[in-house]
Amino acid sequence: MATESATVSGPQSGGFEEVAQREHAAGVGPWKLAMRRLRRNKVALAFLGLFVVLVAVALAAPLWAHNVAHTDAYQNHLTDTLKEGGKTVNVVAFNGTPVGPQWFKAGGRFFLGADGNGRDIMVRLLYGARISLLIGISAALITSVLAVFVGLLAGYFRGAVDTVFSRVMDVMWAFPVVILGVALGTALNLGGLKIGPINVQAGSKLIPILIIGFVYVPYIARPIRGQVLSLREKEFVDAARAQGAGSLRIMFTEILPNLASTIIVFLPLAVANAILLEAYLSFLGAGVQPPTPSWGQMINDGISRITSAPHLTIVPGLMLVLTVLSLNIFGDGVRDAFDPRAKVRMEV
Amino acid sequence: MLVGTRRLGAALVALGLAVVVAACGGGNSNSSNNSGSSSGGNGGTPASGVKKGGTIKIGTVGPDSYDPVEFTTVQGNSPLQLVYKGLLTYKDVTGTSGSQLVPAVADSVPTPTNGGKTYKFHIRPGLKYSDGEAVRASDFENMIKRMLYVGGPWSSFIFPVKGAEQYAGAKKKDAKIAGIKVDDKAGTITLNLTTPDTRVLYALAITNYGLTPKSKSPFKIVTGSNAPPGIGPYTIKVNNPSPTNGQFTLTKNPNYNIPGLAKGNVDTIIGKVSTNVNKMTEDVISGALDYMTEDPVGDLLPQVQQKYKDRFFEEAGYPNTYYFYMNTTIPPFNKLAARQAVNYAIDSRALQRIFGGRLKPTCNFTPPNMAGYKPNTPCPWGDPNGPGNITKAKQLIQQAGLAGSSVTVWTNTKDPRPAIGDYLRGLLNQIGFKASIRTLNQTVYFSTIGNKKTKSQIGFTDWYQDFPHPGDFYGQLLTTAAAQGTPSNNQGFVSDPHIDQQVDQLDAKPPQQVADGWAALDKYVNDPQHAYVAVYGNEEQTAFYSSRMNVKQCSGYPHPTYRVDWALLCLK
Repeated sequence: MATESATVSGPQSGGFEEVAQREHAAGVGPWKLAMRRLRRNKVALAFLGLFVVLVAVALAAPLWAHNVAHTDAYQNHLTDTLKEGGKTVNVVAFNGTPVGPQWFKAGGRFFLGADGNGRDIMVRLLYGARISLLIGISAALITSVLAVFVGLLAGYFRGAVDTVFSRVMDVMWAFPVVILGVALGTALNLGGLKIGPINVQAGSKLIPILIIGFVYVPYIARPIRGQVLSLREKEFVDAARAQGAGSLRIMFTEILPNLASTIIVFLPLAVANAILLEAYLSFLGAGVQPPTPSWGQMINDGISRITSAPHLTIVPGLMLVLTVLSLNIFGDGVRDAFDPRAKVRMEV
Repeated sequence: MLVGTRRLGAALVALGLAVVVAACGGGNSNSSNNSGSSSGGNGGTPASGVKKGGTIKIGTVGPDSYDPVEFTTVQGNSPLQLVYKGLLTYKDVTGTSGSQLVPAVADSVPTPTNGGKTYKFHIRPGLKYSDGEAVRASDFENMIKRMLYVGGPWSSFIFPVKGAEQYAGAKKKDAKIAGIKVDDKAGTITLNLTTPDTRVLYALAITNYGLTPKSKSPFKIVTGSNAPPGIGPYTIKVNNPSPTNGQFTLTKNPNYNIPGLAKGNVDTIIGKVSTNVNKMTEDVISGALDYMTEDPVGDLLPQVQQKYKDRFFEEAGYPNTYYFYMNTTIPPFNKLAARQAVNYAIDSRALQRIFGGRLKPTCNFTPPNMAGYKPNTPCPWGDPNGPGNITKAKQLIQQAGLAGSSVTVWTNTKDPRPAIGDYLRGLLNQIGFKASIRTLNQTVYFSTIGNKKTKSQIGFTDWYQDFPHPGDFYGQLLTTAAAQGTPSNNQGFVSDPHIDQQVDQLDAKPPQQVADGWAALDKYVNDPQHAYVAVYGNEEQTAFYSSRMNVKQCSGYPHPTYRVDWALLCLK
């Protein structure tokens, strides 16, 4: 494991305890210490750089679409033609085979070729990145907020509150996330979501965000609950209680700040998992609804043409791999930086 | 799976999406389309001197039900038509002659009396079911009652018979149907209709109206292993009812002997049920299967088209019409200009590409190979093989004050319908609407758009004949009566007294006799003064056989009712 060896066996390392003692002896705060450890982890930083590039590429989607490809992610070009070395080529042949990558032969149009509807793959890929990141980050934030809320309440109050929350989490845990996600996605994409004043239309991007945000809650809430159970017994909590602080105040001013490093460690991993689940769901038709571009959906669209146009499947798949890999390796780096002894893992 | 420590695990899962699924694919690319190639059929007449016997294996997604009153798909009809025959059936020949009504359990096709309202059938003497039980006239009445009682999907075809609709509503097994009189001793069946309607004869010839013995036909839907015996050249045994990895076996019925109908060339037909069409195609290529009921898709289609021209055929032989419905009761398509604009704008060449070249552009609502089909030339919307008139369409939308109107296009998940829906969405945006798309699972799609409360504005729809009669299209898809059903097949909720009156009049006579009337109605529906539907094509069906099959003499393709008549198949 590249990141672990970079952290543990750096040039000054003489075993973890020694390193820790040396760092603490310098009187450095935990945040600064974590940042220092993270800066030393070159692999994690390299993958953070890759992730930043992917974000930049996603943000630049409209620039490419309007100035180079001269189309958008939704426009069909079924009967359009291209000039290729003086020859006229159909964007989609009569038998439905789409044109392959043109690179810059057509001035950047159909750089990565077209899909079955004659849509520009490169443009859809870039807009797909936006969707993946939007859903991944939003869902991870929802997961984190809900998980912290559940973990705090269950861990702090224990007893009946803990029993109720824990059993609900157990039930959710019993379902594999993909199955639960597909079931919810299929149902909600059919009829939308109506709970009191909340009304989300079927096919809205909010549906996969909410589903993914919801199904991962137990995976973060459980370790947080465990940590809260431990923190509530600490002396500083007893001290706050002795000073007359109420439960809410203790939870939010004493315990929550001590959960920050755990939440930060989980966040990039949660984003990676959310992006992956979004791709799964869209691949299975239960996530982002067409014609909105999504990598999972693009992979699904390309399957039937895997031999004649493998790029239709491989390119979005590769983007997915790079995004998930960059977040996972960076996430591991963050974990190592914040708690080098931690055995925190998120099971999926 | 652990994420965090197993970084590569997560990445590999992502890669799996991109690559592992490739296992479903296969095939080749870049080939010319051989659409319109000759059928390779047996010239419209049963082949003589062909090899008899042997076993063949057929790949199929399988019947949706093995109960004759319940199944709805072509994949159900192909094997079950060999097991269940009704009073009448369709001729076992390829080409348009396959639409011809011929007697099966009855000894002749009856001529109507009482002003077209009474049909009298006489059952062939000595006829037996596959289990040896004698066929009785009362079995017919029992079959009709069973179908109506369990709510078989084709129940409404018999509603012109007096009392049939009431029986269906009453849900009482022992109630009488006033319009059916049977006499077991004389072997006669008399049907009395409320109004003259020739569609009834055509409906009685479909497999769903096949006779089964009263003693073995409970008033509930039965599973494959409990399917009742029938009268057909084969008997069926469902070895495994699984819809993804199932199997059924058709073997010769020793009691079958109806003169004039095919007796089947091969001894045994094994149906291999699977949902993996690519695997099916590869198996036909390798010879593991001898024929497949599905169309090759994706990469494999051009490969098959190019490499196996001698045993792969494409023809619009199974009558169908693909069109966009437009809801005439709500904005914006309650305005004629909006409907006209869609018709002017459609570019069938684009849709042909979505169908992989297997779409024949048309300007007719009536499909080819159907009585009353007369090419609508010149097409009022422009050449169906040429580009759409976007300028004119935009102009119409502008003039009608509809520019910027929100429209939701409805489609379903079955390939290539999402692409068709997306094409329409793009087209509507191009001509000035603000269009979005709604894609439903195919299992709930038609019941949703056919419900008036859904208020769907425009979307994908198609129609494949239930029986070879133009009334099956116009009566079910464009009449006021059809619009009142829930769900309705008249998704545009078209209600025009002229269409209603014409359908009633034309249905009363055999379709060949009033073919001009049906052609005039076709023109009326497509006329710019009405523009009730936006028709764009007829899908060609394919037939792909292994090299073991004698496709020159007995491909059984195209049969207008069965797609491929399995009774005609034979080995080399």
